[in-house]
Amino acid sequence: MKKKKWLPYLFVAPYLLHFLVFVAFPVLFSLVLTFHKWNIISPMEFTGLDNYTRMFRDKMFWKTIGNTIQFLLVHIPLQLIVALALAEFLNQNIKLKGFYRAAFFLPVIVSGVVVTILWQQLFGFDSGLFNRLLTNMGMDKVGWLIDPDIAMNSIAIMATWKNVGLYVILFLVGLQTVPPHYYEAADIEGATHWQKFRHITLPMINPTIFMVVILSTIGGFSLFIEPYVMTGGGPLNSTLSSVLYIYKQAFQYYHMGYSATLGFFFAFLILTVVMLQKRFIETEEVD
Amino acid sequence: MHLKAFFFLAIILFGSCSSKENGNKELLYWSSNNAAEIDFTSDKVAQWNADTSHIKMSFQPIPEGQSSEEVILAAVVGRTTPDIYANMWQGSVELFAKAGKLIALDTLEGFKEFILERCGQKTLVEITSNDGHIYQVPWKINPIITLYNKAMVSKLDLDGMPTTYSKYLAAGAKASQDQDNNGYIDQWIGYTEVKVIWYQRFFNFYPLYLAASHGGALVKNNKAAFNNEYAIEVFRFLQELYKNNYFSKEQSAGGQDRLFMEGDILTQWTGPWSISHLDKFKPAGFEYDFFPMQVPDNHEGPIYTYADPKNIVLFNTCTQPQEAWNFVKTLITKEGDKQFLEISGQLPRRQNIDKDAFFQDYFVKNPKAITFAKQANFVKGTDNCEVIVEVFDIISQEYEACVIYNKKTPEAAIADAAAAVNLLLGN
Repeated sequence: MKKKKWLPYLFVAPYLLHFLVFVAFPVLFSLVLTFHKWNIISPMEFTGLDNYTRMFRDKMFWKTIGNTIQFLLVHIPLQLIVALALAEFLNQNIKLKGFYRAAFFLPVIVSGVVVTILWQQLFGFDSGLFNRLLTNMGMDKVGWLIDPDIAMNSIAIMATWKNVGLYVILFLVGLQTVPPHYYEAADIEGATHWQKFRHITLPMINPTIFMVVILSTIGGFSLFIEPYVMTGGGPLNSTLSSVLYIYKQAFQYYHMGYSATLGFFFAFLILTVVMLQKRFIETEEVD
Repeated sequence: MHLKAFFFLAIILFGSCSSKENGNKELLYWSSNNAAEIDFTSDKVAQWNADTSHIKMSFQPIPEGQSSEEVILAAVVGRTTPDIYANMWQGSVELFAKAGKLIALDTLEGFKEFILERCGQKTLVEITSNDGHIYQVPWKINPIITLYNKAMVSKLDLDGMPTTYSKYLAAGAKASQDQDNNGYIDQWIGYTEVKVIWYQRFFNFYPLYLAASHGGALVKNNKAAFNNEYAIEVFRFLQELYKNNYFSKEQSAGGQDRLFMEGDILTQWTGPWSISHLDKFKPAGFEYDFFPMQVPDNHEGPIYTYADPKNIVLFNTCTQPQEAWNFVKTLITKEGDKQFLEISGQLPRRQNIDKDAFFQDYFVKNPKAITFAKQANFVKGTDNCEVIVEVFDIISQEYEACVIYNKKTPEAAIADAAAAVNLLLGN
């Protein structure tokens, strides 16, 4: 019996080691880094709270926060509406349901870089497919990625297309857990389709809605590949996301201390937003 | 019992860690990872090892990474740097030198005299760091000049080649066409990358600035040195190109090479690598040639350009720097330079290579390369500044606002860029 006391620790040890080396240590080291100036190859220099005061004065960083929020304000509602609509569609008795499910999910598993390059071509001003379709219909071309006012919205549309399949599956699962007798009772009462959707479906799938919003929010805050590949943060920094900015500070300018500071603040911001969403979106489970 | 097991495991773990073998008898050289340079290096290393018994050379191509700069940075951090590295971007040298990671080559016997003879005084001054030492061996350059489609440019019926701003703009007016009559321009005089990434300025703003300013500095004595008429006129010239739709604002999928070969653009700012690319992929009957970067109408004297230089460095982990330098010398003798030129098509940074009889047979066989060889006498790399990447990034931000989106005047954009650079440099 005495011999086996170490056995549980042995089983936990590999993951614990991994956690300590690849999660705990980097996080703690990054926290220490926020009080230093370091360019990786020279010794670290203690700077106290300089990085934090710099962050609050850094107009570009706050612009990236605004850009990211703009992205979220378009991406999250679009994601919710499209995913729920497609899930409702799949929840009907339709032919080729399996094919549609696979088709909607396919973009999720395709590499983000590949998808981004593909959409870069679609969005091309002079020779992109979208503008060719518009001009063929007698409409003006749209500067999808070259107009600072709409570039981020274009990226939000692309990101929605890329990720909606995952949320369709989540919503589909949620819809299929709604007890059918609620709808039967509503039919007897003469409820319309919209009334059933509003008063039965939405409340019953609220936990799923909450999960989709949280996942979309966290995913949206991590916006990096699309602006990095498509626009480089332009035009006029309108698509420069916070994560891309943090990346540039670290790996383009080697401001490791400052980028660690931005990273910590950004993580705190995400946590705050998610807590607020939990407060205002999540409702008590309906029996 | 448990403690013994722990120590046993620890010994196995740490004992299995490999350590860099950098004893006294072998040096490690990292070359670039393109096939031509690997062949060249392989030959040179074999030759050295055959001729030298007391110290051996081994080499490998630089490990794969998103960029060679990132790989080198990782190697420096991990203390796994080679003894010698070829393909160091000139702009990175100051950062590594200031951190004490590079060997001061001017302290090695015969270094300065050799470089002076090979490259000339101007280059020697250019590569001298702010602390007065030299940390890099000028190796190769790829001057940026104007490539043009002979047939399409001659059809424009221009008054001379578009070598000045006004001539180029006039050519732009004639070249811009809506070929499919859909109301949108689909043929332009040229194209340059619109993404606001700092290194893209090496292919538009910076060579034009060097051309206009006779090789002027961006940063000098730790201050912004580009708030002048040259930078303003370059911005104005580029702004006019976009304002009048002589250049497209779209990000091209296949890059400007594809646009050039398909005839969507008539000119391109590029380096000598285009020769082999075009000769391999151009359509039948497609003829091209080169001329220098555009300059202001009142320009006099030589036309400079960006050299896109890559240099050789010795890391401070090298225990035999003098021997390492002796090996490097074999790469950049006349014979070494010629061999490199023939294998890779890249120009060694050797002064008067266009006039040197030793290299003439190469240029006879490769006539397109002579334009680059002549240009090689009037090239410049980047200024020695630890934060040169940020300087170019600041310029890129103003470039985008002024040149591409016409949100600022060139005067305001350059002034704002200079102010931001001075703030960055602590002025």
